[in-house]
Amino acid sequence: MFKGMPKIFWIGMAIMYGWCFFFMFLEMTIPGFPLKRFLGVPACYIYNWMIGLFLINVFVSFLFYWSEEKREELKAKTKA
Amino acid sequence: MGVNPIVILGSVLYFAVIFWIGWSSRKASLNASDYYVAGRKVGAFVNGSALAATYFSPASFLGLPAFIFILGYPFWWALVGIIGGMPIATLLTAAPMRKYAPTSFTDYYADRYDTKWMRLVAGIPTLIGGLAYVILSIVGTALFLLAILKLNFTFSVILASVVIFLYIYYGGMVATTFSTAFQGIAMTVASLMAAGYVIAHYGGLNGLTDAAMSVSPNFFNMPYVSAAPSHAIMASWTGVVGFFFVWHFGFAAMPYTVVRFFTSQDIKSARRSVFWAVIIGGLMYCGLVIIGTGARVLVEQLHPLMQTEGITNAMDVFKHMQTAYGVAGASVTDYSMIAAMEALNSPFLLSVVAAGGLAIAMATAAGWTMVLNILLGRDWMGKVFGSTLPEEKPVMVTRVMTTVVLVICMLLSFNPPALVLDISGAAFVVILCSVGPPMILGIWWTRATTAAAYINIIVMTILSTGSWMYANRVLKSAHWFFLSDPANKISTPHQVYWVFVGFIFFIIISLMTKPNSDEVIKKYSLDIRPDL
Repeated sequence: MFKGMPKIFWIGMAIMYGWCFFFMFLEMTIPGFPLKRFLGVPACYIYNWMIGLFLINVFVSFLFYWSEEKREELKAKTKA
Repeated sequence: MGVNPIVILGSVLYFAVIFWIGWSSRKASLNASDYYVAGRKVGAFVNGSALAATYFSPASFLGLPAFIFILGYPFWWALVGIIGGMPIATLLTAAPMRKYAPTSFTDYYADRYDTKWMRLVAGIPTLIGGLAYVILSIVGTALFLLAILKLNFTFSVILASVVIFLYIYYGGMVATTFSTAFQGIAMTVASLMAAGYVIAHYGGLNGLTDAAMSVSPNFFNMPYVSAAPSHAIMASWTGVVGFFFVWHFGFAAMPYTVVRFFTSQDIKSARRSVFWAVIIGGLMYCGLVIIGTGARVLVEQLHPLMQTEGITNAMDVFKHMQTAYGVAGASVTDYSMIAAMEALNSPFLLSVVAAGGLAIAMATAAGWTMVLNILLGRDWMGKVFGSTLPEEKPVMVTRVMTTVVLVICMLLSFNPPALVLDISGAAFVVILCSVGPPMILGIWWTRATTAAAYINIIVMTILSTGSWMYANRVLKSAHWFFLSDPANKISTPHQVYWVFVGFIFFIIISLMTKPNSDEVIKKYSLDIRPDL
């Protein structure tokens, strides 16, 4: 199952799920965690709104297409 | 609250651009390939923007802020789950599906499982989900038309159906791809601009947080660590994690997004289009989080209807809208996002948001109607039942199907069965647990069998639809586990566990049944994976 899936896929999954479930876990074990101050605002705006919702997903989707293009380029060069 | 000329002007400008795109690309929709898959000539950015506009619907634009309004901060994680599911599609389905290059969603099922009847079976949950989505798109368009023109809801539904009909009838996939790409930008700009207004009004994120908590003290409460949950459905981890997963796998496996991978130029373009869709959709969602967080306090502090005698809170405002404009019961809370924008008292902002709202609703209606009319015309009528008409006159047949689909959906939209986001969640779970495993495991597991595909689609469609309807009727909400004790209910949003059960069930049945031929497995499983 999933034979041939590039390794970067599993790395991307680990980054995205790791980030989300780590902070969900903290929120459900530390009272008031979303509202704790970080960089002058409630922390949830940083780890959830900015990073979890946007930056991490942009990074992972970039990683996926970029690494595949690099791998294909390398393969084409090796063949040539 | 009357009709504002600036709001109308913004909407007229939006329609002018859309019809200009449709008009200038009309000659490009003359043959079947152009009509169905835009001639496979769409670049990464345009396809990415179109992907975002098609995938995100009024369920996002209206429904997500409404659910943040109702369920509080824990629902932010649902939005993270939706955007977080998008990159998965890059390697899981986008690249293999573009390499395989079919015309219709059901082509893959018929080829991989080696029987034309799979088109019929795989089409059933797609039809159920598709009709649900066209309904919610008509309801969304109607709510925005109501906000712009202050028309009665029933008239708004009729007008919305006519606008969507004309848009798709003359468009096909070429026009809908390019105008949908424009719509993707319009909805993101609208969402970000609205969020900017909200943050500026409260003097920053700290001010917004304090204001939200002033009217909803439990807004930021998480389960287990707070005296009271933000909402009963969010009182346990199953509620938070369940909502994270309801829409999570949709971008990789829902028919209306998968077909947009077919329109891209090549595999490279298909992968890059996901990246652009994440940027465009992610920015829009950042805006929606802020709008949803500020919705209740904005409505209760600033909405003009709060001055009306007898109206004391946001729910009273929505009830007033229900009686004043005849908004059907289930969808009235969906008006919360528009009400929050009305509260800011900026006709310019409302015109941009209304244009963005119309954009997102029309784009989704177009995407789903294209999936359905290709399913009903080309796939069922032509490939399953042998009619030659879809081959000879493809455009005419799909236009007839468009008419049928939109008339049925318009009739059902007069009294929507639930909030737009609830309709969306139900459609996602039904489709993902039934046709999701045969598609994803069909690509990535050589042992996936035809018998398992048949059984999984039929069993999971019945179980997911039945349990959702049972919970909604008996427990009064589809977000409770359908077999819960009414005195001690367990939160399982939209019966989302069926998505995981569906994959396990499919694997078990596959292992118990006869594998497909080596030729089919090589062609439709091994050969469409990346060349490592």
